[in-house]
Amino acid sequence: MKHEEWKKISRIMSKRSLWMVHFCTGCGAMEMPPVMTSRYDMERFGIFAMATPRQADVFLVTGYLAVKTLKRVVQVYEQMRDPKYVIGFGSCTINGGMYWDSYNTIKDLSKYIPVDVYIAGCMPRPEAIIDSFLKLMDMIDKGEAIGWQKYRKYYDQYKRNQKMAFEYRLDEVKPIKEDDKNES
Amino acid sequence: MKAKELFPDAQELRKGRVRIELDKEQITDALKKLKENGYTHFVMLSCVDWIKEGKFELVYHMWSYEYKEHVMLSVKINRDGEDVVSNRELFPQIETYEREIHEMFGVNFVGNPRLGEFILEGWPHMPPMRKDFDTEKFVKDLYYKIPEVNEE
Amino acid sequence: MMKEYELFIGPNHPGVTGNMSYHLWAEGDKITRAETRVGYLHRGFEKLMEKRIWMQNVPLVCRICVPEPDVNEAAYSMAVEDLMGWEIPERAKYIRTIILEMARLSAHLLAVGGVAAALGIYTAAQWGIGDRDYLLDIFEQITGARVYHIYIWPGGVRWDLPKNAKELILKVLDYLEKRMPLYDDLIMHNKVFLRRSVGVGIVPKDKAIEWGVTGPNLRAAGYQLDFRRLEPYAAYDKIDFEVPYYPKLGDYEVLSDGSDIYTRTAIRMLEMQQSIRIIRQALKDMPEGDVLVKENKANKWFGWKVPAGYAYSRVESSKGEFGYFVVSDGGKKPVRVHVRGPSYTHGINVMETIARGMNIADFSPTAISLDVCPPDIER
Repeated sequence: MKHEEWKKISRIMSKRSLWMVHFCTGCGAMEMPPVMTSRYDMERFGIFAMATPRQADVFLVTGYLAVKTLKRVVQVYEQMRDPKYVIGFGSCTINGGMYWDSYNTIKDLSKYIPVDVYIAGCMPRPEAIIDSFLKLMDMIDKGEAIGWQKYRKYYDQYKRNQKMAFEYRLDEVKPIKEDDKNES
Repeated sequence: MKAKELFPDAQELRKGRVRIELDKEQITDALKKLKENGYTHFVMLSCVDWIKEGKFELVYHMWSYEYKEHVMLSVKINRDGEDVVSNRELFPQIETYEREIHEMFGVNFVGNPRLGEFILEGWPHMPPMRKDFDTEKFVKDLYYKIPEVNEE
Repeated sequence: MMKEYELFIGPNHPGVTGNMSYHLWAEGDKITRAETRVGYLHRGFEKLMEKRIWMQNVPLVCRICVPEPDVNEAAYSMAVEDLMGWEIPERAKYIRTIILEMARLSAHLLAVGGVAAALGIYTAAQWGIGDRDYLLDIFEQITGARVYHIYIWPGGVRWDLPKNAKELILKVLDYLEKRMPLYDDLIMHNKVFLRRSVGVGIVPKDKAIEWGVTGPNLRAAGYQLDFRRLEPYAAYDKIDFEVPYYPKLGDYEVLSDGSDIYTRTAIRMLEMQQSIRIIRQALKDMPEGDVLVKENKANKWFGWKVPAGYAYSRVESSKGEFGYFVVSDGGKKPVRVHVRGPSYTHGINVMETIARGMNIADFSPTAISLDVCPPDIER
């Protein structure tokens, strides 16, 4: 019981000081400066852009991801410390958006890293970005933002999907063998 | 001298746009000649895939600030691996365009040491800008087939 | 003897302009070699455009340059109009001029703020982005979107300006004009800025044209060359404006031999004043009438055929020359659309060459002052 209470307090604390990785992965990065600066001012909510992934809690994946960027995104995501949250920004992280038939962009971000909140639209407005942060805070408060636990639990599946995209492998998906699991 | 005087068979597309068709061997000399005659701004090098003819068309775009004229030097080469001489000595940005065309179309430029991976990383298939590369089929075969993460 | 070491700037780094990276080799604090690594934003636009009909490409092209999308729409539209042989209505030309100049203003505000922020003056970035938002508000009222407008398209513009557009725009222009002296005080007369920017990041003047440098960067090197003058598009041939170039820096002092971070920033500041002047004139002289040619009807889009031929159109963007090479074989879809982005040369050849011998600390202000924008490099 005591442990549960501590968890609740830590959730209240962490939801009010979300630090975001400063990584402009796609064109959505264009709407971040207005959100970060005086007009929309996300520091009101305790959100702050941080250059290093080690000190960040939230990863805002701003827009489409080319496979080359996905490699860096996975690296950055794995460097972040638990608990960590991912927001998928824009239609292109949901289903590819405008680039549904592009050979170099991944279509569904949640196949490669767990996503807690998605923002629809191209581009989403600054209000939508702030709204997504508020939604994420709410989820943290309720203990629903558990993407980082999912990444640990289904690590082998995420790794398999990432590898398929990284290598542009066209052959059929093979079932995961027992020794593969042990390796990871 | 204007491009029309240098190359009598130049074809004027509209005011300020001239297109010249050349053979592969003439291109370096033509670029040099234009550069000496006031066409000092190298705009870009593009490649067009004419799959029905079986040709790649390399288009060297040059602009003269003096005559306010844009010249397209067009060279047709075979689609199946014909080599082209690199012109990176004349304008440094040609090197970058050649790297891109090598990666996206598979044209080999002899004398360019930086050919290789430029935009894509670990791409094992056919150069993607060629017309016979079907991007829609590729997407359906790869990205759509990657399974969702299963939660049991 | 100092040992050479490698340094990676980007893609996750606040000092790079977007999602790109530089691979540097350095000895102590001095860069000995640099290589630009791009491709993080490659979406294969040119491939996708070959798969879509002519009008479907308009929403695609604006995504090639994120800070200033309108130049892409204008350049693509001009290439298609050239092939179709369309002459766009007079009013549409003026509206295009207004939209393009507003886009230039917003991109310059971002660039000037970015240079200042790279040198430690974060207030300027806050101001620049904040003032840019007033322009985005007008864009939203005119086009319905803040960032990607899809307003200019083949045959003119999508719809006429709203009735109150003139008052709205003039109000923001008055505001921006009042702000300009404050920017001068904050950036251009700032001792820290001057110490870090004068004589730093020089693009050699005699090489500038050969290297393919265009736009404000070329004018900072001392050439009065501007495609709005050389090859007037939209309504620029009827508008009176100046092309600022080194050494005619107006109210700003000439402190260096040009072509450095300071001069490039001064040129951008002067261009903003000219943009305000152009928009004022265009609003005043704008005639009444149609804004779209009669041939461009929505119900005909899927049957549209563009005559076979080659077209190249160029637009002077805030970064330099934006060009579209469009090839048609007379079909419903383009055979090839090739985009010439200004950052292609600025970001790769120019940066790789001028980085040699530079201090590491001067590297990212130089890249930002050249206004390198990666999406138009790899497309």
